[in-house]
Amino acid sequence: MANQSGDVYGLTILSPILQDLTAETSHNCAIRMKLAGLPNDESSPFAKVSSTHMARLVVMDDVVYVGMPSCEEHLKSQYLVFETNFDGDLDTYLTRMAREIPADVDAVWQHCWGYPGTKDMAAFIAYMKKCQITTTFYFADVNNHTVQQTLTALQTQAAVAEFIEKNQDKTAAELQAAFAHFLGKLREAPAPVPGRPEKGGPPRIETDMKWATRNAANTQQVTHNE
Amino acid sequence: MSNINHKTYAMNAITPMKWWKTWIVRAFFFILGTVKPLQKDLVQLSFIHFARWVIIKRNEFPHVCNQQPREKLKYDYLLFFSNFNGTWNQYIDAFSAVLSVGLNLIWRWSEKFPGSVPVTPFKQYIARCQFDTDYYYTAYPYATTNDVKAAHRVQDALDALEKESAGKTAEEFARSYRKFVLAVQSDLGQTGKAPVGT
Amino acid sequence: MSKLDVTDIQGFVLRGYNLPFARYLFLEIADAQRGRALIKKLLHRITTGEHWDAGKPEWTLNIAFTHKALVNLNLPDASLLSFPVEFLQGMKARGEILSDTGKNAPEKWDEVWREGRADIWLAVNSKAKATLDTLGADLQSVAEETGGAKIVGAQDAGLFWIDGEWSSKEHFGYTDGFGNPDFLGMERDTQPGQGKLMADGSWAPLATGELLLGYADEAGELPVAPIPHLLASNGTFMVYRKLHQNVATFRRYLDEKGKLYAGGKEKLASKFLGRWRDGTPVELSPDARDPSIVKDPQRNVNFTFGNDPGGARCPIGAHVRRTNPRDAFGFNGRLVNRRRITRRGLPYGPYVPEDQPVDDGGEHGIVFMALNASLFRQFEFVQQQWVEYGNDARLGNDKDLLLGNHEARDKHMIQGTEDPKNPPFVCGGLPNFVELRGGNYFFLPSMTALRMIAEGTVDPR
Repeated sequence: MANQSGDVYGLTILSPILQDLTAETSHNCAIRMKLAGLPNDESSPFAKVSSTHMARLVVMDDVVYVGMPSCEEHLKSQYLVFETNFDGDLDTYLTRMAREIPADVDAVWQHCWGYPGTKDMAAFIAYMKKCQITTTFYFADVNNHTVQQTLTALQTQAAVAEFIEKNQDKTAAELQAAFAHFLGKLREAPAPVPGRPEKGGPPRIETDMKWATRNAANTQQVTHNE
Repeated sequence: MSNINHKTYAMNAITPMKWWKTWIVRAFFFILGTVKPLQKDLVQLSFIHFARWVIIKRNEFPHVCNQQPREKLKYDYLLFFSNFNGTWNQYIDAFSAVLSVGLNLIWRWSEKFPGSVPVTPFKQYIARCQFDTDYYYTAYPYATTNDVKAAHRVQDALDALEKESAGKTAEEFARSYRKFVLAVQSDLGQTGKAPVGT
Repeated sequence: MSKLDVTDIQGFVLRGYNLPFARYLFLEIADAQRGRALIKKLLHRITTGEHWDAGKPEWTLNIAFTHKALVNLNLPDASLLSFPVEFLQGMKARGEILSDTGKNAPEKWDEVWREGRADIWLAVNSKAKATLDTLGADLQSVAEETGGAKIVGAQDAGLFWIDGEWSSKEHFGYTDGFGNPDFLGMERDTQPGQGKLMADGSWAPLATGELLLGYADEAGELPVAPIPHLLASNGTFMVYRKLHQNVATFRRYLDEKGKLYAGGKEKLASKFLGRWRDGTPVELSPDARDPSIVKDPQRNVNFTFGNDPGGARCPIGAHVRRTNPRDAFGFNGRLVNRRRITRRGLPYGPYVPEDQPVDDGGEHGIVFMALNASLFRQFEFVQQQWVEYGNDARLGNDKDLLLGNHEARDKHMIQGTEDPKNPPFVCGGLPNFVELRGGNYFFLPSMTALRMIAEGTVDPR
């Protein structure tokens, strides 16, 4: 189905923005100002709705006029475009938005026609679905891994690269011990945080060999316990 | 405002279409969606995380309540949203160089589309039809889609190695490990800051 | 297409002279009128692309200008503003794009580049060392007579004399000089592998417009060029970069890692570059040097990476594979054809044999010069996306081992096979083997354009 690709959902919402010619700041400007102040790293509201792979908010001022001989025409309202790519189903995602980041959602969408607010969950979901446009064609390069799986994999990738480098001249016994130690450290590592610009995830996974060489005599024991 | 969040660029474009041409685009997308080999070039280029095309017919702009003025438009509109890696120029250069046929099939129905080759008028058209992103979030700002795919391959290989190494002797493990390294050796690029947008 | 008017194009653009000695003089223009007088005096001595029926001349002379030079020569504003943005800004301002930061930042450059005083590049190439001095003195007196410019810097460069002959080696011991692209209309011995890959596996010359302004490029367009046409046509852009080489660090690194690498030190060196130090392409001969390939122009540049997607022969991050991926990105190499550059560089500083002590602080390096119709689309792209970054090669942020401006966790991955002599090997702890000591972007005008600049008759439409 058009909005879905594998396990990823592509939601496109166009919310008509209020027009108030008497307001000191127009509604679309207000939205832009609000968005300008919103963090887009791990403090982003979308990091909290952690099933979000990528999301954008765009104030679409008008349609485009491409020049003669095309006709010039204009929209009667501006539209707030919300394009997001997330794991799971639509209802769950919208529910999470209303439940986990209501203040930010209200602050942005309050400038839109007929917006009911996040307090009334059913009304909120109905409103968002009313503004939803069906995606005609959705392409997702990776559509079978959740955000968390992806972040974990990135963390693993960096740790593995370092492990391979640090252990390329070790004996078989040393290697095995080091690997067991490494797996343990990897398992203990805190779950990576979405939205954080960080090389290979948070705290470097320690791949230090010192532990293993000190305990070389115990390697046989370690393997049996695995 | 920024279209860029570290390694990913959020491009938005809107193009007008005469209403009777819309079904052609829909038909093309239907074929593209079902005939998977047609997507292989797109997959090979490998710098798009997520992309979507959205057709909005002229009477389909959301109308939420009676007080909202109803849109009265002549054209249908094709919206395009892309989350891609690399610079704007690099992206368009690459598409123009190797995917021009597909691009033309999608956009030739849009008004005044100049064709995706040669590349300069194509870039001018895109610049005309592109509108800027106000807020852009990505869960993995330091990773490109290549990095993500490589990371999953490494994770899978590591999981397999972990399973396999239970109860092995040091020599047996060393053998499995060597195979593991050979399997992941092209997937170990570090992630990090993006090159400066140009 | 019609043949190129070679007498209108500066010889430096059309051929690598392969003369053993070079001196690059940098001049700062005094004022427009006297500057033009100086150029007028030099006009008839500039070497063009004309045929050398009587063999190589004793010396050659070529000239190029920064944007500031053209401003100082009072070209009309409309022409000045029509030059490509990156040329207008100059190389120093493009530092973020090129990774000319940290150890490569302008604060570390030679004074002439740091202060941006080099307006004009005047290049002498010669058969004999003494000629550099005589011609240099000659040029000095012309500059003084006309009062047109002051010589504010000079850089000598030249081939190494090794074992009784001129060598194309550089300071790390690699044999250089392979792989300049072929272009339509150039009269040059084409070699298979130099041009662009065709669907049937053969090689064809690249569009002339990838090198020269005023001709169609690989995208079927005219590259961005200044107005009027006559100012741009038959001209090109040059990037000049003085690349200091930390020879001691390189030798030490190669020795250390060479002991750990099962294939041995020379093979390891080949895995850094993608050629053995004698020039054998690793892709054709991954296990041993092969002088027969090196000597054979039909073979020494003739390879593709299509059969080596895993990098088991030529590592994916090896220098030659990064800078000219050929078919490695699929699409029959079409993504590469607009990213080719023509190199004209020469080493500078005395050659120190492998068994002699050498110091990183010594003057050893390469004067890197590359010619292209679009600095932005060609040189800058390769530098930013393929040398200092690796995403297109699916290598994430990994940088070129030899040229990269390395950060703490940088590495070069050598992919391997089950063969114990060809194991996977990680080269970590990478120091900066090469450091930038300055440079800039130059415009090499045609003879016609040069005359117009000298006469002050540049007239934008």
